[in-house]
Amino acid sequence: MQQVTLAESEEKLQRYPKELNEALREAWSAVSGTLSDEEMAAWVGWGVAIAQQAGRSWEAAREYFRASPAAVQALPFVHLKQWGYWGNALAEESPAASSAYFRASPRIVGTLKPWDVPEWAQIGRRLYGRGRRSGVLTTRYFEVSGDLLSVLSFSELQNLVGMMEAIAERSVDEAASFLSLSSEVLPTLREDTRSCLSLISSLLGREWQQATGCLQVVGEALARVERVERSRYLSLVGRVAENGGVNVPAFLRDSSAALGQLEGYIHVHVLNMADSLSRVDHAVVLDYLKGVPQVMRRVSINQLETWYETGVAILKENPEGGAAYFKGESSRSEEVLEKLSTGVELGRVKEVMRLYCRALSALDVEIAAHQAEEAQGKGWVALEKMMAEGATVYLPPVAERFGNKDENFDWYKVVATHQVAHLEFQSFDFSFDRQATQFSDMRSRLLPVPSEDDGEAELVDGRAVGLADIQRFFGLFVDGNLARDIFTAVEDCRLDYRVKVEYPGIRQAYAGVQHLALAERPRLEELPAREAMVELLIRFSLQQGRELMVPERYAGSARALWDIVRPLSSPHALVEDSAEATIRIYQIISQVPNEEVPDEEWQQGDFPDEQTPWESMSDEEWEQLLRELMEAQQQSGEGEEQPYESPPQVDYRGEFKPELMQVISMLRESQRERGAKGETISKGEMERLLAEANQPVTNNQGVDPQRRGMFVTDLVKEVGSRGTPQGAIQQTTMAYDPSYDEEEQGGPLEIKEPASFLYDEWDYRMSDYRSRWCLLREKDMSEGDSTYFTATLDGYAALASQIRRQFELMLPQGLQKVKRQQDGDELELDAVIEAMVDKRSGTSPSEKVYVRRNKVQRDVAVVFLMDMSASTAEAIDESRRLADEWDAPDDPLEYMFWLRSRRGEGVRRSYKRIVDLEKESLVLLIHALETIGDTYGIYGFSGYGRENVDFFVIKDVQEALSDRVKRRIDKVSPLQATRMGPAIRHAVTKLDQLEARTKFLILISDGRPQDRGYSREGVEKEYAIHDTRVALLETRRRGITPFCLTVDKEGHDYLRSMCQDMGYEVLADIHSLPRRLPALYRSLTV
Amino acid sequence: MAETDTYTSYRTEEYVVKEEPFYLPVGDEVELFEVAYSQQMPVLLKGPTGTGKTRFVEYMSYRLGRPITKVTRSRRDGGQSKGSSVPLMTIACHEDLTASDLVGRYLLEGDETRWMDGPLARAVKVGAICYLDEVVEARKDTTVLIHPLTDHRRLLPIDKRGEIIEAHAGFLMVLSYNPGYQSALKDLKHSTRQRFMAMEFNAPPPELEAQIIEHESGASASVSLALAKLGEKVRNLKDHGLQEGVGTRLLIYAGKLINNGIAPRRACQVAVTWALTDDQQVQRSIDEVINSIFE
Repeated sequence: MQQVTLAESEEKLQRYPKELNEALREAWSAVSGTLSDEEMAAWVGWGVAIAQQAGRSWEAAREYFRASPAAVQALPFVHLKQWGYWGNALAEESPAASSAYFRASPRIVGTLKPWDVPEWAQIGRRLYGRGRRSGVLTTRYFEVSGDLLSVLSFSELQNLVGMMEAIAERSVDEAASFLSLSSEVLPTLREDTRSCLSLISSLLGREWQQATGCLQVVGEALARVERVERSRYLSLVGRVAENGGVNVPAFLRDSSAALGQLEGYIHVHVLNMADSLSRVDHAVVLDYLKGVPQVMRRVSINQLETWYETGVAILKENPEGGAAYFKGESSRSEEVLEKLSTGVELGRVKEVMRLYCRALSALDVEIAAHQAEEAQGKGWVALEKMMAEGATVYLPPVAERFGNKDENFDWYKVVATHQVAHLEFQSFDFSFDRQATQFSDMRSRLLPVPSEDDGEAELVDGRAVGLADIQRFFGLFVDGNLARDIFTAVEDCRLDYRVKVEYPGIRQAYAGVQHLALAERPRLEELPAREAMVELLIRFSLQQGRELMVPERYAGSARALWDIVRPLSSPHALVEDSAEATIRIYQIISQVPNEEVPDEEWQQGDFPDEQTPWESMSDEEWEQLLRELMEAQQQSGEGEEQPYESPPQVDYRGEFKPELMQVISMLRESQRERGAKGETISKGEMERLLAEANQPVTNNQGVDPQRRGMFVTDLVKEVGSRGTPQGAIQQTTMAYDPSYDEEEQGGPLEIKEPASFLYDEWDYRMSDYRSRWCLLREKDMSEGDSTYFTATLDGYAALASQIRRQFELMLPQGLQKVKRQQDGDELELDAVIEAMVDKRSGTSPSEKVYVRRNKVQRDVAVVFLMDMSASTAEAIDESRRLADEWDAPDDPLEYMFWLRSRRGEGVRRSYKRIVDLEKESLVLLIHALETIGDTYGIYGFSGYGRENVDFFVIKDVQEALSDRVKRRIDKVSPLQATRMGPAIRHAVTKLDQLEARTKFLILISDGRPQDRGYSREGVEKEYAIHDTRVALLETRRRGITPFCLTVDKEGHDYLRSMCQDMGYEVLADIHSLPRRLPALYRSLTV
Repeated sequence: MAETDTYTSYRTEEYVVKEEPFYLPVGDEVELFEVAYSQQMPVLLKGPTGTGKTRFVEYMSYRLGRPITKVTRSRRDGGQSKGSSVPLMTIACHEDLTASDLVGRYLLEGDETRWMDGPLARAVKVGAICYLDEVVEARKDTTVLIHPLTDHRRLLPIDKRGEIIEAHAGFLMVLSYNPGYQSALKDLKHSTRQRFMAMEFNAPPPELEAQIIEHESGASASVSLALAKLGEKVRNLKDHGLQEGVGTRLLIYAGKLINNGIAPRRACQVAVTWALTDDQQVQRSIDEVINSIFE
């Protein structure tokens, strides 16, 4: 066949679907111009051969024809031949793969060197040889080749395929998705593609499963890293991953997230440190990276280095300690940061600030960090939260405007002082009836005469709830917003002056803050006239009296404002003065149109500092002045009037909402009255009240209704929460929650609810405390039946009275006679006689002839700490047999089963459990203790995990023995695990509050401390025991004598190391507990 | 009283307040006390430390002795000729103070025993004001003595000698106690407290306190005012980390220190902050208030 015609060829393909011939025809015309006749014949021949290979291989042939025009263009015939050949070969094995091959070809032939094309085809063929499901792989390979080759060289592609093959060894599916992912991800990585590939290839040795995961996150991860640092970042990841045991995708995600929080230019430094850190200990690199954003919030980049170096030094000495250091869990890390940082964190000074505010205002002021996102624009006083007798002062979480700690602290102080000044100098105390001290009364004359139906007082629930005075005041103005802005500025004038007078010590810092605030004010000359006038007031309040830009035609008004504001700088000015000033200023400013002022009209104005006494103007004079000012402004009119916008807040002042404050205090008042009657305001009612109360101001533009809604909800919450009594907390056993399973995860905890306490925990491997590591919740024990108490006493009647008698013997005999004293209440007859005899016989008599009565005082306080762990559910007689089981399983799930099975045992029991004996001993002891009057408290503890240490109050130290206490004892029952450390530390806190000469902490337990996460792999027991030991040592350091009593016969081995030089006792026979405990107490305390 | 190198010693019952003590009445307490004295009504002074209870008693003792006093001495005989004031017997009570310490005891002297009157017995005999400071600190057996003396009987039984002394008309018992810090155990029994007229002492208002500070310490008016302000602020911390607010006495100390050239902040730190508390956070807060008030 030297020459073929189209018709002949079509003939051969007749039996296949029409599409094939259509494809042939199209290709024919495109190809015939390039190929010689001979070549044409060969070309068609391959197509036919392909089509004939198998049932559906005609589809491959169709793709062959479709791809041909491009292939013929790009490939010399010799390569074209090979191209066809390989297609045929593929079709022989898999028509689908062959189709994919041909479909991909047009793009490939354009990118690859002609001689690489067969190579490319061959790889596909090789992949197919991989056995079952390898067709998928081959097809996928051809499909993605085009995309991949656009970013990879052919040899890199080969490399990638090599990796894929490595994966395919284990899982073909994994390999296929790896391939698809690469084609999606790699093109987006651009210049980092190569580093990424080398990272992945380094993974393939051991962690092949992670390759796909890496690809999934790598794109996103790299996007967060500064561009020029990306390849270094990847090689860092590679180095960390090299050592194995690292979850690389998670590493990528977390570390890049951390970097993403940092400024781009810092990345290079951070990565430098990470690099060298990875050479010391690759395992801490992630912790380090994750910690950096937190650290960088407090220190500068140079200081970061110091922090880092300290960490490395620790790491080299003590890997555990170093790890905790970089995680930010160790106290050392905190210390270093605290020393380094110049910023002041609110958390550290909160208590001081709270007391400071309390001292200034005599109110309970809460200090709260306002959220960072609110820092911009919004103020941080939300005094609206001032319910009860307190207020909240909102401060930013960190003060770091200045280069040193003192100045930053001072800044906090200024902010707090200003906010508290509202309370201290009664900004919220505005009363319509009180006279101003500096101004004549204008407001009462402006008040509209109340008509009969004028709803000045609203009837709620049959009782009048009037508008707050300040609302009535703002109601006087047409533009409530303008009036409010003026009032705010004017009141700030008053307060800032007052603060400076009352607190000269803070004056300098205050001026500094004001100066800073000035720098952030908008430029006067860019504001329309009316806003400029309000801004002018704010400048006055910030003590700027010079170099102010004022529009020429309003110069007179500006001077009038200055004159009106100045009298407020008097220690006697009241909030009513601010109100009077507001009226006068409003009258001036409301006449100023809010229009742009041409540049050339602005002139610099100076307002003299010296005080000329304000002569209270008569009405006529005032009206005269107003008229003059108006005339001076007459020539205006060319500019366009703009809607008035409130000026931005002064950053340190925050929001000032006098009217809401008054409404709230009215609400509070009515709440209190209703509370006395047992009623509460319903939510709806309050919302209505507030909405109405809010009206005079909020009917104007500019208040975001959503925000108001939120506020109302908050308020409802606030009032509501104070309405409900702080009832007894229901004690429930903690349901198993898998989310708690993230053992070891997370750092320091935070207190989220009341009656919670945070305690450090000792980690002996890092030889340091893990700060704020355990969250302990104090709860009242729920109450059971008080007959339990009496029944127990009856049951042990003989023993009870015996013990009681013994205790009575310990009672101090009131007064003890001390004989032969130099000085005393009475003469001692014997001594006197002796002295007389001595004297008569010529020797000098002893002077010690008196008897003194010394009061023997017993001053003992003791806390009993009861282990309420699940293991106390142990039946006593079986305890020997089951002793081994007391080691709880480590796996959380198993642990819960273990717990449940244990607790289940207690449901119906005819036998005594350990806890029962503990309780009985307590009853006997209480009975006896009451006779000697020692202060004592009884607490139980249990819990699950470090965030769930429950501390049950059975009898608080200050509490008297009541029926409630007796009922609580009944409820003592086995719960969960034993984390002794925090319970001991909390008990110490309790004892610390007592003033007793001798203090004891008696710990009654049935076994070693154990809890989920109270351990690290392999060293469970040591960790818990070390922490408990340190807790006991702390106890002793506080002058409290700890004593451990255990019924665990194995107790000797760990108690010896736990208590070493402290007192402990292992009870050989648990039945002796009720007898032994009181006896022990006696011997300890006498 | 004390000269440069000599000292003066008095018999307890002869000690009288010679110079008028400085006392600035806050309310009607002077009047009340005068009536109480004339009507032989025992007085209980309540209030935190450093609010002028002791000074008040001294002042009243001086004032009541002066002939120009407006009080009609209806029941008093004129036995107080030698002093210009009513003798004042101040007894600081402590936990080892017993009844015998108050009444008296036998002493051995040579071959004999000699009875020695205790301060209470002396006061009862001469008609002095007997001031038991911080009475709850004393032992419970002292109530045996207080009770018969403070009701209509006005008798002091001396068991050891088998005597009963009828109190001099000028005798008056005054107790002081601080309701704040004592534990429930140390509270005053009702049978005791209901024998007294009670007067409450609290920190004076800032303006008055400033005058007191100024007078006592010699500090300038502005410093005294600032100190009074400090006092007011620190008292706001009572029960918020402080068990007791700062007493005027400490503020006066601060004033004296300042007056003698110590920097104000430092003076307040040593005389107020450190004197009040050991709690570091509270110390810091007080220091911050001080730093705000003083330059």
